[in-house]
Amino acid sequence: MAAAESPNSSRKVVVHLRATGDAPILKQAKFKIAGTDKFAKVIDFLRRQLHRDTLFVYVNSAFSPNPDELVIDLYNENM
Amino acid sequence: MVGLGTEAQKYVWEGAIPLQIHLHESEITTLPSPPPALILGPRMGYLPLLVPQIKPYFSDTLPPGVDTVWFDYKGIPLKWYIPIGVLFDLLCVEPERPWNLTVHFRGYPADLLSPCEGEDSVKWSFINSLKEAAYIINGNSKNVMNMSQVDQLELWRSILNREMEVFLRISSKLKLGTVGEDYTKKVTSPRQTNSETDTAGSSRTGRIPVRLYVRNVGEDIDDLEDVPPIDSWDRICYINKPVEIHKEEGKIFTLHDAVKVLLPEFFPDEEPSIDEEISRIELEDEPEAPESNLCNQDLNISTAKKAEVGASADEHQLESSHVSGKSEIRLVRIQGIEPKLDIPFSWVVTNLMNPEHFLHICVCVGVSQDPSKTR
Repeated sequence: MAAAESPNSSRKVVVHLRATGDAPILKQAKFKIAGTDKFAKVIDFLRRQLHRDTLFVYVNSAFSPNPDELVIDLYNENM
Repeated sequence: MVGLGTEAQKYVWEGAIPLQIHLHESEITTLPSPPPALILGPRMGYLPLLVPQIKPYFSDTLPPGVDTVWFDYKGIPLKWYIPIGVLFDLLCVEPERPWNLTVHFRGYPADLLSPCEGEDSVKWSFINSLKEAAYIINGNSKNVMNMSQVDQLELWRSILNREMEVFLRISSKLKLGTVGEDYTKKVTSPRQTNSETDTAGSSRTGRIPVRLYVRNVGEDIDDLEDVPPIDSWDRICYINKPVEIHKEEGKIFTLHDAVKVLLPEFFPDEEPSIDEEISRIELEDEPEAPESNLCNQDLNISTAKKAEVGASADEHQLESSHVSGKSEIRLVRIQGIEPKLDIPFSWVVTNLMNPEHFLHICVCVGVSQDPSKTR
């Protein structure tokens, strides 16, 4: 997970996806998502992209947030 | 104080909610219907951990199939990774004892709840919350990740068995700033150094991991007893926001200050505090991250754009409703307590924090609009 377009408006967050373990590498690694979206949306998106039901998504290789957490909250936690 | 932990912490660790658990009628295959199970749900526990205790009450009457256990309260499926005490504080504005829950062993609502495979899922979720808290406090989760297998197991067992002293002994190795650690400096006045350690926590500083649950009860309800039950999680606003305890000469950072940092829109009349000014300046000074230059290459996740438009419109609505002065905070509840807002926030953190190092705060607000748009 990486920087928001503009920290002040705190509306959109750029998510940088890095493959780890045996996960396939995505053609496009950076995506924009609304800060008001839940982390679940990132997981669902990846599930569709990778065609996998089970996957683990970590923030900064440090922890796996619960799906209810808002993307903007996760972004702010990392500042 | 002898031993580990404060007296208040002990009360919180021993806290439990009497539960009366009914089997959902669609799963009753015998007559007479089985009586409800009466058990204690530890405040710091999680619902799936109670299943081994509950199952024997109902196993004889269940229809054939595989168990996928979940709970509901008045129709709202309960999120299993939220501590039982928090669910109770949040969903029962007027505490109901015993708390009447319904258990289901079939038909898991996978569209509403994330999958749960019993104790392992709860443990995974707990450890991840702990890592998240460590990340907020220290900027990394190394201490949790580098925990020995033995310590991790013992830590988890201390949660299952509610052994506070074992828990405190192991978690102190994680250097997450619990009582008695480096930055909980002793207050210098001789009278206060003799007093209990839980009052000395007022010198605590740093980022505190907070999970905030905001429930809007509407502006028209005078008596919180009349609040109707919640029918959907969309009606609860879930905010994760670290609170920074600022040290200021001769001034204690109170729970009021913390709530103000968390929900500034409810304090429109007050002058912005110095704390807020500082954080605002920090925000503005934040250099623009290099990644943002790459934005033009980015593909939006399907509805992201629409969501953004919606969000800014909501924000505008929220602001205008606040200007009208109708919004107010009705209730702040932590571990079943409604603390006075002028108590030091560090006391609240030290004593009322959950073992995954998050402070869970339930707030009821009265706002004259759809509660799902409180942000």
